[in-house]
Amino acid sequence: MPGIKDRVAIAGVGATRFTEHYEKDHEDLICEAVDEALGDAGVARGDIQAIWAGIYYQFTGLGGPAVADPLKMYGIPVTRVENYCASGMDAFRNACFAVAAGVYDIVLACGVEKITDQGSRGLPNVREGAHPFLPPASAPAMFAMSATRCFDVHGWTKEDLARVAVKNHANGAKHPKAHFRRAITMEDAVNAPEIASPLGRFDCCAVSDGAAAVVITRPEIARTMKHKDDFVVVKANGLSVETANPMYKPGFEYLGFPATQTASRAAYDEAGITDPFEQIDLAEVHDCFTITELLNYEDLGFCKKGEGAAFVRDGLSAPDGPLPVNPSGGLKSFGHPIGATGCRMITEVARQLQGRAEGVQVKDPKIGLAHNLGGPGAVSSVTILGRNDTL
Amino acid sequence: MPQMPKIATWHLPVPDVESATYWQGAREGKLLIKHCNACERHFFYPRAACPFCWSVDTSWRESSGRGNVYTFTVVHQNDLPPFRDRVPYVIAVIELEEGVRMTANVEGCSPDDVRCGMRVRVAFRDEARSEDDVVSLPVFRPEG
Ligand SMILES: [Zn+2]
Repeated sequence: MPGIKDRVAIAGVGATRFTEHYEKDHEDLICEAVDEALGDAGVARGDIQAIWAGIYYQFTGLGGPAVADPLKMYGIPVTRVENYCASGMDAFRNACFAVAAGVYDIVLACGVEKITDQGSRGLPNVREGAHPFLPPASAPAMFAMSATRCFDVHGWTKEDLARVAVKNHANGAKHPKAHFRRAITMEDAVNAPEIASPLGRFDCCAVSDGAAAVVITRPEIARTMKHKDDFVVVKANGLSVETANPMYKPGFEYLGFPATQTASRAAYDEAGITDPFEQIDLAEVHDCFTITELLNYEDLGFCKKGEGAAFVRDGLSAPDGPLPVNPSGGLKSFGHPIGATGCRMITEVARQLQGRAEGVQVKDPKIGLAHNLGGPGAVSSVTILGRNDTL
Repeated sequence: MPQMPKIATWHLPVPDVESATYWQGAREGKLLIKHCNACERHFFYPRAACPFCWSVDTSWRESSGRGNVYTFTVVHQNDLPPFRDRVPYVIAVIELEEGVRMTANVEGCSPDDVRCGMRVRVAFRDEARSEDDVVSLPVFRPEG
């Protein structure tokens, strides 16, 4: 089983600003992101042989034409990929597999979501996916269940959550494409209005619009493109799915997300990572809520179970720490246009490895990780990328 | 002109072939859970086949209605009627004595007093779609 390690390269990346794009629709956003990615790789639309597009909401667009129509790229395979909040990274995964299989030379992975203008606060229509026996629970309420458990079992506090928000907003303040570009204080975070306690306003990411795109090819072809030898190598992707109804699952502890644990182990196995804390130089992880980032540290094996709060408190995930997490500012600063987020994370990690981050640049990274988590911990995708000299 | 309903009812369950017995039991003040006759385990939510062994040889059992709060949140923000008039309210994962878990509101105490591990007992809150269509929703109250 040859897998995908070192057989797939990222030749170009692009992303819109993530914000409330009231003046744009999903067609404007996807074109902007794809054009930036194609320009970055130095290829034309006609060079692309297939597209995978991460889109979650039906109202953003259905089927391949959701992106083929705005891009006017017809007559090639275009597949809409939906896998909760991991839709974007699952689109990337499918594109990588197609290149590794030798079916195509140059393909595009992209993601887009247009959520504002839907007449709703928070995520629209979450009720449609809710189980009939479940009192309607918002996304903050579902993740708050984990925070309550961590407070009870580990003794974590609202200050522990706030440290994630303060770190990520400080990073996002320096990123031109972030939705929120203002640093906050511990007092801002701890004293913010409650949403679903113990999660307050700064513990939750915002609802935003945006798109991101990645040009994917083989390393030998990437060398002939715009960045020459300075392309990014795909080391691995792991995808794992668990139940969408963990609340009915006896024994579910709410102290971590098994999908992230299994997806990351699969990715580490393929990438040859045995000590993630030592071997990974930066990570963009799914901080839909502050509690999620603390649990991600543990689930991704950056620290032991129960040590997530200490990991950020000790500065280990700070931009100048040993394992910077969300140097872009994360979902906390960018918001979460669901289908777009995974490809944005890939974009951020790729730019970091090339030393051209648009926000905070981590010092000399060789190996980077991107992590999506979808639903109530139901789907996780973990991607490992490497600098060209890791090939 | 049809009369517009004065109260929100969109959130109320619509009983189907697999859940009608459950909702009828609730109307009678009983919390019914499913039991698998093949592997002898209880399960929730009610459905035709056992989620552990896939047997369709299942039966209804009345739960003691006693359990504890496994975890919970206090919801402070919800724009949708009727919930916007209820904030702050508690959504909890309840672990029943029979070992199954369900989600429900915790009532009968201040949201500030809810704790993990708190002993609770089922009660039923009636909500009406119309005069002759009443649903009894299981909620939990502190025991004792
Ligand atoms: Zn069974």
